[in-house]
Amino acid sequence: MKNTLSPSRFLRRTLIGVAAVAALGGAAAAQAAVQIQETGSSLLYPLFNLWVPDFAHTHPGVQISTASTGSGTGLSQSIAGLVQVGASDAYMSGAMMKQHPDMLNIPLAISSQMVNYNLPGLNGRHLKLSGPVLAGIYSGKITNWDDPQIRALNPGVALPNHVIIPVHRTDGSGDTFIFTQYLSFSTPWWNNKYAYGTSISWAPVQGGIGAEGNPGMVDAVKGNPYSVAYIGVSYKAQTEGAHLGEALLKNRAGNFVLPEVKTVKAAAAAMVPKTPADQRISLIYAPGKESYPIINYEYAVVKADQPNGQVAGELKTLLSWAVASTGGNAEKYMRQVNFVPLPANAAHQSLAQIAKIHG
Amino acid sequence: MSADPGLTAAAPAAGGLRRSFSWRPRFGHLLALLAAVPMLALLALFIFLVLYAKPAMPIDGWHFLVRDTWNLGNLYADPVTVHGRQMLPGASYGILFLIVGTLASAALAVVFALPLAVLSALLLAELLKGIPAFLVSTLIELLAAVPSVVYGLWGYVFLIPFLDHHLYGFLEHRVGPWLPFFAGPRGSGYGLLTSAIVLAIMVVPLITATLRDGLAATPRELREAGRALGATGFESAWRVVLRGQRTVLFGATILALGRALGETMAVLMVSGNALNYLPHNIYAPISTMAAFIVSQLDSALQDPTGMALRALAEIALVLLVITVAVNLAARLLLQFYGRRK
Repeated sequence: MKNTLSPSRFLRRTLIGVAAVAALGGAAAAQAAVQIQETGSSLLYPLFNLWVPDFAHTHPGVQISTASTGSGTGLSQSIAGLVQVGASDAYMSGAMMKQHPDMLNIPLAISSQMVNYNLPGLNGRHLKLSGPVLAGIYSGKITNWDDPQIRALNPGVALPNHVIIPVHRTDGSGDTFIFTQYLSFSTPWWNNKYAYGTSISWAPVQGGIGAEGNPGMVDAVKGNPYSVAYIGVSYKAQTEGAHLGEALLKNRAGNFVLPEVKTVKAAAAAMVPKTPADQRISLIYAPGKESYPIINYEYAVVKADQPNGQVAGELKTLLSWAVASTGGNAEKYMRQVNFVPLPANAAHQSLAQIAKIHG
Repeated sequence: MSADPGLTAAAPAAGGLRRSFSWRPRFGHLLALLAAVPMLALLALFIFLVLYAKPAMPIDGWHFLVRDTWNLGNLYADPVTVHGRQMLPGASYGILFLIVGTLASAALAVVFALPLAVLSALLLAELLKGIPAFLVSTLIELLAAVPSVVYGLWGYVFLIPFLDHHLYGFLEHRVGPWLPFFAGPRGSGYGLLTSAIVLAIMVVPLITATLRDGLAATPRELREAGRALGATGFESAWRVVLRGQRTVLFGATILALGRALGETMAVLMVSGNALNYLPHNIYAPISTMAAFIVSQLDSALQDPTGMALRALAEIALVLLVITVAVNLAARLLLQFYGRRK
């Protein structure tokens, strides 16, 4: 064996190599920026991608990466400490909070949801729909567009005698969460039978379609006349581009409203005083004459206890900037994704939570 | 030091050609170890899935396989304790519709793919010669390498509207009266038949490429013997050459079936993602096990009891068992068939 590279020599060479690589890596790490990783909600993803370049411009010490993976992934990876910011359309459940009491659910902005339909000849009109009627459609109890219950809401509209194609999300989704909350809060029998969640056990409605993601929802409605779907307001440009109809939804006060800045702000204003300090609250079906019934906080789910002070410090800077009306909540960002900025007192609550992040 | 075989095997490569003799026994061990890795990986995967899925198994027992009751439960309710296990209220796991959707779409796909694949393999091996044969067979091998998501996207954007407008109406009105399973309503283009067609297009190249190689390797004398007995070119190809490749065809078909069973992305995009119901006709939405795992994962992560993830592992286990069983059955059949011959 004398010709072979002896194990000890081999080992020594390896060690030298490893040491050299480690030294290089260490030097690089000393210079490198603090890394902050964001993953989760596909609704928050476009907003983060607007924020990050501008924030990075004024904060060269931070390197932020973003990913659109789904709210559930955002929650679980943030809990596991794999990312610093888990973006989620839904707050953590009480049971999850009990298991992970050091998690913070920090609202960053307010989103809303449209109910869209594709009714040949009627897409230019805003049909009136209510929670109980949508619950009827999605459970298969209301199957035709000229059903008496839909006609009663829309007197004088020539509704077609055609089967309704309800479209729902098949992937776990914050949009399903807030839509089914609207149905649950407005329709007791829906709540008893189906309740709400990021995915629920949908009724097998004849002709119904399951679609993937908001783009899939838009495509499904576009491609299927007589369909109806719930779509995140970030996709308004796409639904308008496809000339889909947008429904007026019945709010708690009994009025029919469209998702507009005014109605979303009215709903937020009605709900903020009820928001607890940990900000885990549903904004769905808010009281108030003008309130739009399907709005929600978009959350950054963050572990209070970060690996070190440097990361904690940069994370606080980023999130504080994000909720500031002069920073990430500025009109120029919100308008692009059709979000509404946090009301001042909600932003104040968010800041109080951000202050709890430590290294 | 368990890493020893790796170290010593790396050394000769670094040290040149001067020795080799003294390495042989160890090299043999290393090869044996490497050869065992795939088997051990399969075994480890199986054991992991069993252990991970085990807490979810008693919830539905065998009903997991024979009922359509998939429900993650109320994700925002407080967990309840059932038989000493924490789970969400309303949670139940029954995946019959996934098993049916997976098997039906894969089986239909193979039924559609076989005649196409056999004819194109015959065409390539028997009729085309020279450059055209080379070009077409290269093309088919390239098709086999196209990532499935590409087929899925094409199916989603082009095939669904095309089939819905041009084929399904015809099938519903012309074939429906004869075969009840083809009767309407035909839905929206997403569903069993569309999934099967996309899967068929994906597996045709697999079967064609394998069978063509087999056909091309058939000795010329056999063809000549066929022709000498008065058979036409087609008869000789069909009766003599293809007949000799039955084993190859069978093996390729099983491979194709395996691919169709496990296909995820393409099916996810065109199947309509049915939940908790069986297809009532050939156009109805379905869901397959592989696609369902992907679409449910994000919500399952929100289950504080973790039971939803374990139930997904249970689905993965069933899928693993089915695909391994299909391949194993195919091997046994082949052996049996080979012995009889």
